[in-house]
Amino acid sequence: MMTLNGTAQTADWESRYYHVDQILDRPGPRTDPSFSAGEDVKTFLRSQCKILVIGAGGLGCEILANLALSGFKDIHVIDMDTIDISNLNRQFLFRPKDVGKPKATVAAEFIMNRVPGVVVTPYHGKIQDKGEDYYMEFNLVICGLDSVEARRWINATLVNMVDPDVPESLKPLIDGGTEGFKGQARVILPTVSSCYECSLDMLNKPTAFPICTIANTPRLPEHCIEWASVLEWPRVFPNKKMDTDDPEHIDWLFKKASHRAQEFKIEGVTWSLTQGVVKNIIPAIASTNAIIAASCCNEAFKIATSSAAFLNNYFMLIGTDGVYSFTFEHEKKPDCPVCGGESLELSIRPELTVEQLIDMLTERQNIQIKKPSLSTPTTQIYFQAPPQLEAATRPNLERKVSELVPNGGEVTVTASTLPFSLSLRISYT
Amino acid sequence: MSFSESQDINTATVVSHQPDNKTRRYDRQLRLWAASGQAALESSKVLVISASATSTSILKNLVLPGIGQFTIIDDKTVTPEDAGNNFFLNGSNSIGKSRAEEAVVCLGELNDGVEGISDTSNFERRFNSDPTFLAAYTIVIAHNLHPTLLDKVAEFLWTDPSLPTLIIVRSAGFLAEFFIQFHEHHVIETHSENMPSLRIDKPFPSLLQHAVSLDLASMDPTDHGHVPYVVILVRAMEAWKSSHGGKVPKTSQEKRAFEQTIRDMRVKVDEENFDEAVSQAYRCWTETNVPSDIAALLSDPVLSQLSLDSPQFYHLLEALRQFTLQPPHTLPLTSTLPDMKADTTNYIHLQKLYKAKAEEDKKIFRGLVRVPVDEAVVDLFVRNAHHLKLMRGIKWGQLDKNPAALVSAITEAPEFASIHLAFSALSSYIVKKGQSSDPLAPTEEELLTEVQGLLGDAQILEPGETALKNAVGELARTPTADVPNTAAFMGGVIAQETIKMITKQYVPQKGYCTIDLVDSKTGVVPG
Repeated sequence: MMTLNGTAQTADWESRYYHVDQILDRPGPRTDPSFSAGEDVKTFLRSQCKILVIGAGGLGCEILANLALSGFKDIHVIDMDTIDISNLNRQFLFRPKDVGKPKATVAAEFIMNRVPGVVVTPYHGKIQDKGEDYYMEFNLVICGLDSVEARRWINATLVNMVDPDVPESLKPLIDGGTEGFKGQARVILPTVSSCYECSLDMLNKPTAFPICTIANTPRLPEHCIEWASVLEWPRVFPNKKMDTDDPEHIDWLFKKASHRAQEFKIEGVTWSLTQGVVKNIIPAIASTNAIIAASCCNEAFKIATSSAAFLNNYFMLIGTDGVYSFTFEHEKKPDCPVCGGESLELSIRPELTVEQLIDMLTERQNIQIKKPSLSTPTTQIYFQAPPQLEAATRPNLERKVSELVPNGGEVTVTASTLPFSLSLRISYT
Repeated sequence: MSFSESQDINTATVVSHQPDNKTRRYDRQLRLWAASGQAALESSKVLVISASATSTSILKNLVLPGIGQFTIIDDKTVTPEDAGNNFFLNGSNSIGKSRAEEAVVCLGELNDGVEGISDTSNFERRFNSDPTFLAAYTIVIAHNLHPTLLDKVAEFLWTDPSLPTLIIVRSAGFLAEFFIQFHEHHVIETHSENMPSLRIDKPFPSLLQHAVSLDLASMDPTDHGHVPYVVILVRAMEAWKSSHGGKVPKTSQEKRAFEQTIRDMRVKVDEENFDEAVSQAYRCWTETNVPSDIAALLSDPVLSQLSLDSPQFYHLLEALRQFTLQPPHTLPLTSTLPDMKADTTNYIHLQKLYKAKAEEDKKIFRGLVRVPVDEAVVDLFVRNAHHLKLMRGIKWGQLDKNPAALVSAITEAPEFASIHLAFSALSSYIVKKGQSSDPLAPTEEELLTEVQGLLGDAQILEPGETALKNAVGELARTPTADVPNTAAFMGGVIAQETIKMITKQYVPQKGYCTIDLVDSKTGVVPG
């Protein structure tokens, strides 16, 4: 008997793959001639292909089930979260008794019980815990994440891993995301097609309220809630970290926000809104996750089997008004800091200070780098860490960029959360 | 995600204290359809014909958000083929057992609050002996039902508007299609992202009075920088009109001049509220009237023959029509004021003016409604008057009886119409072959012959010809394949549509919606 990771594989029963085999036994009218219908492709899919699923949440649960039924048998899943009661309206591999347990482990066990012969190897932890040698083991990676930061990390990692002399080092990355009745699925061929970083400017700008509005001129219930969480909490509890998963903490914020709202005659602060604002809750439903996860898995299946052409490269779905979707090719950016190679041109006023430049880098839609460190080939402009270097470079914050960087000069931007550096070519207006 | 969606939080949950377990479980969906949508779901009954992989995928996405009850009617036992592609059967352990019963157990585990019923009788016999049992359901969903039986079910459900909506799903391999057969569907809460007019061009008396009475000249500079743009625009437009014979700016030269008058009002160059006013100046010459799609609704002939028994929605529309006959010929004002540069006092004052006027408009509207209507419904209706929807459905199968319409569909949208035609060709093939179509294995040529039968004498030109060959070729490749990814995709799409139909929120799809998972595209062929 064949073993995989030490687990015995249950023999497939007769006709188990009757449905999927109709696709794998013969080509369709649009199938690429390279498709080797029949046993070869089935053997690859069912006993050689190794696939990684990042995220075992709303999309992850769906992705795991689809992959298992489609015939992928060596599946790995990473997730750092534990199960919360609010997951149960869509994360269908979890039950009330599982609340508090790690998502990756519970999901893996459920799949292995339900779909015998499939081995799902869970890892309860962060994607950053794993290195290139780990990611190199897989043929494909599918992401079902809700974090932009994590997506940027895995995207940059997979792009960096590509060695033009080693074709297997290119790992197709399939990424899905949903919000309410809307979602998107995309296929990224690192270094070949547009990458996640190339499309950063398509993201909605996160709602950020100016601190002066929050402090002085609140108008909306959200302003009162932000006041409670951003200003009041640290003032009242200087040594206690706010935990947005703790209902007592939300309660406190809700009461403070309500009081302030009353004072300013602002209506609409509720418990639910308070929680939504401080946790940045995105509405999520099973059906949308099902569509997007199915789309991701369908692309993974097509890539793994060549049974049909895969998505080039972006599928966007809007289900609020009928079923509207848009399939298009998102273009690679030559100045993408991850896959582009060209430096990003940035034109600034000569009076701009280093601190203002840092704010600009944090806010610009196509950059969005939190806590960046800046240097030129000859000068350390500003470093966030280590503390000694931070202290040594801190006086530069108030200096004009033009005193430190010549017109047309290059600035290298790095951040500890991102495995890449951004090269800026500065010009002055 | 690259888009934002409005969250109706005020009505979503208990307002002032920690939510209970049920609210916590449903939190992420209550932020979309609120307590009212949830209540509608919880009182719904869904019937699904057959426990195919696609059927159980649909049900999974309805059980999780908490529909009231579902029934699977299926007299078959689980085959090895079923056990391999259906996540809601218990793998090979289910082989030989009742497919309906096994599926109901696996689906039932997803949510204790949902009642699952397995009906192991033969649907065809049950339907033939007494079809009226269908009347008990809110929605009936049929996946790959035998075409002859499907036509009979559709025919029966079309006989009376009170009978349930029918969702028809056809799928094979990478291709799928669905159609919703409903008589009429009214949506008040469409959750449209279009903002209603602020009526800056037609300021209501209290707004106008407030705007012109402000003493900008003697204002403290800080206060001056906090006058909301709405007020600035109303004031600037009053001044412009009085010096331009009561006319608003028309030419682009006049518009630029008007914007300049706003800039000239600044006391400091960096007053952001005035920048905002300039960027919103278009609102002054964008006339607020009844939006065209709402105007079309209000001129619907049905409104002229209302009786006390007519649907409430019609009576509300009629009241709205009468409201718009009165000056200023707009829809009732809504009190939603977007955020803008302003201090608290100015903003809250302005918000109060809007609220008071909205309340006044609502009262007038209320007075025009001829039948008893719940206050909450009136409130909802008025708040959503800018994006109401009245949809009239069509009967299943009409399109296939109209060769001219099919030809025009394949000419206009070849990649989508070809999929519809391929499925209809497969249906005709099944009907023609009768018992001998088992196992189902049509050739491309046989399906193309059926397509031609549907199209009549018309010659199909490129790109329609290739599109048809592609679609038909896929069905010939995988005529009976209910593959997991397509099943999951359709499971999501059909559940979204079902939720929209049941909650009467958001807008469901009309016509034939086709799905091509080779090209990863969806499209619509109008009925």
